[in-house]
Amino acid sequence: MTADTISIMGVFSSQRGAADAIDRLRETSWAIERVHSPIPSHEIEEALQPPKSKVGWFTLAGGIVGFFAGFSLAAFTATRWSLIVSGKPVVALVPFFIVGFEFTILFAVFGNVLGLISQARLPRFETPPLYDWRFSGDYFGVLARCQTDEQEKLTRFFEENGAEVKTDDGGESP
Amino acid sequence: MMQPSKVLSKPPRLMNIFYGLATIGALIFIAVALIGNPGRAWQAYLLNFLFFSAIAQGAVLFSALMHTVKARWSGPLADVAESFAAFFPISLALFVILFLGQQYVFPWLHEDLHGKEVWLNVPFLFGRDLAGLILLYGFGLAFLYHRLYFTLKDLGASGPVGRRLQARWDRRPPDEARMAARTTVFGILYLLAFALVLSLVGYDLVMAADPHWYSTLFGAYSFVKAIYIGFGALIVLSALLHMSENNGYRVEENQFHDIGKLFFAFCLVWADFFYAQFVVIWYGNIPEETAYIIERTMAAPWNKLAWVVFIGCFVAPFLILINRKIKTVPKAMIVICLGTMAGIWLEHYLLLGPAFNHHVHHLPLGWVEIAVAVGFFGLLAAAVTGYFKQFPELLEGHRLKAKEV
Repeated sequence: MTADTISIMGVFSSQRGAADAIDRLRETSWAIERVHSPIPSHEIEEALQPPKSKVGWFTLAGGIVGFFAGFSLAAFTATRWSLIVSGKPVVALVPFFIVGFEFTILFAVFGNVLGLISQARLPRFETPPLYDWRFSGDYFGVLARCQTDEQEKLTRFFEENGAEVKTDDGGESP
Repeated sequence: MMQPSKVLSKPPRLMNIFYGLATIGALIFIAVALIGNPGRAWQAYLLNFLFFSAIAQGAVLFSALMHTVKARWSGPLADVAESFAAFFPISLALFVILFLGQQYVFPWLHEDLHGKEVWLNVPFLFGRDLAGLILLYGFGLAFLYHRLYFTLKDLGASGPVGRRLQARWDRRPPDEARMAARTTVFGILYLLAFALVLSLVGYDLVMAADPHWYSTLFGAYSFVKAIYIGFGALIVLSALLHMSENNGYRVEENQFHDIGKLFFAFCLVWADFFYAQFVVIWYGNIPEETAYIIERTMAAPWNKLAWVVFIGCFVAPFLILINRKIKTVPKAMIVICLGTMAGIWLEHYLLLGPAFNHHVHHLPLGWVEIAVAVGFFGLLAAAVTGYFKQFPELLEGHRLKAKEV
């Protein structure tokens, strides 16, 4: 954050209010820095129009790695003791595909969880500035940044959209 | 060939095309059955009877299933799914006609069955399968009748049959709570009958073609296959109606996405049921079980067909449908679903073909099978189009939002 800009948090009591404010903010030159919501909200998601999530790629990579890991595990352990059972090949495709398949699912889940954690930038040990504890209850927060000389305009914008405005982080109850 | 897109503006012409296709198919079938190669004609008949009946049964299953689980997203799709019920009476009649070709569709007729003749004899087989189909179609039509009460109450009836039903309900207004309860009961009965009757038909008409082979999962495999192609046909029809300018029928993007996901899921289920049978037979390695698989997947000329089926029904749709976006593109889904359905048609052929044609060097697949398939397609399409002529309000697009319970 450079010295000549300032961040202002609008605290909304309704999901619709927050989503509408985001819609209107996107038409202005002010940048939306962060949005807080106590619930997963499709309305806010639609208003924000975030880029497509990358979690799917983690899942896919996990699945592909998993298939080969599972198949290799089965093949490797089978070749440690090359015992031919009822005329079947030691490294047999038909049953080892099942191991491969199970590992595909398992590793895809792992990839998905890792993707989720990394993409959501978790774990987060520090409370972000201007966070309000009500964002974990029943309020929505929209943090926007503007030039210092536009502070009043942005404040008025938030108030017109039905928000309560916060500019500094002091004196919050936990 | 498939253009139900003009359902509303020019239904008579469309009907004529479908009747024409059905007539051509029937004439070719009769000609081949009488003067050419009756065995081949009747085997093509059996194959297409199974395939097109499964489409209708599977599509109606969608509506019954969605009603039973109280789905709220499926409104316009369920309306279209129900239209396939119009093929039920035709399918039943076609099954009765199959009786005439019994000599050609049951390769076990003159074999020593080592005690299986108690189960595998023509009167008992036709008796139980006919009873099963009557039961299944009866539940399906009863479910549809009760559901139409609520649909027509919402939309108003403007077609001939619709008005007749409406007049009947106006004369003696039924108890709504009772109608709703009965819809659910018949829906669940249809689901149960679907699993049981399609298993029975699968065992009797497909598996028994090779009377010394058995797989206990074959019945479940048969009805899963029917769900797979039924949902495929439902996607194709609703996508065609959705894209057509001549009616108000529209499906939302997320509804296409959801039915696409279901279709994708049944692609996996189909492959799973195939593999579950395959791996057990592979492990057991008992000659009387493996002979069936070896003949179909390893011996020429069937082995190539087996790979086409596996790639067309599982590998290709699986890889393509991983993509989220493509499930919401109606045009793409039509191509994928038609491809998969063609794959399942070939799969029916792969299961039945070797039992009828021992020691062949070339696939005995040609214009007879295709002509009969065209005829059956004409019948199915005419039945569905006729249904929408009776209930045109279903295509007027009052149900843009899926709101029903």
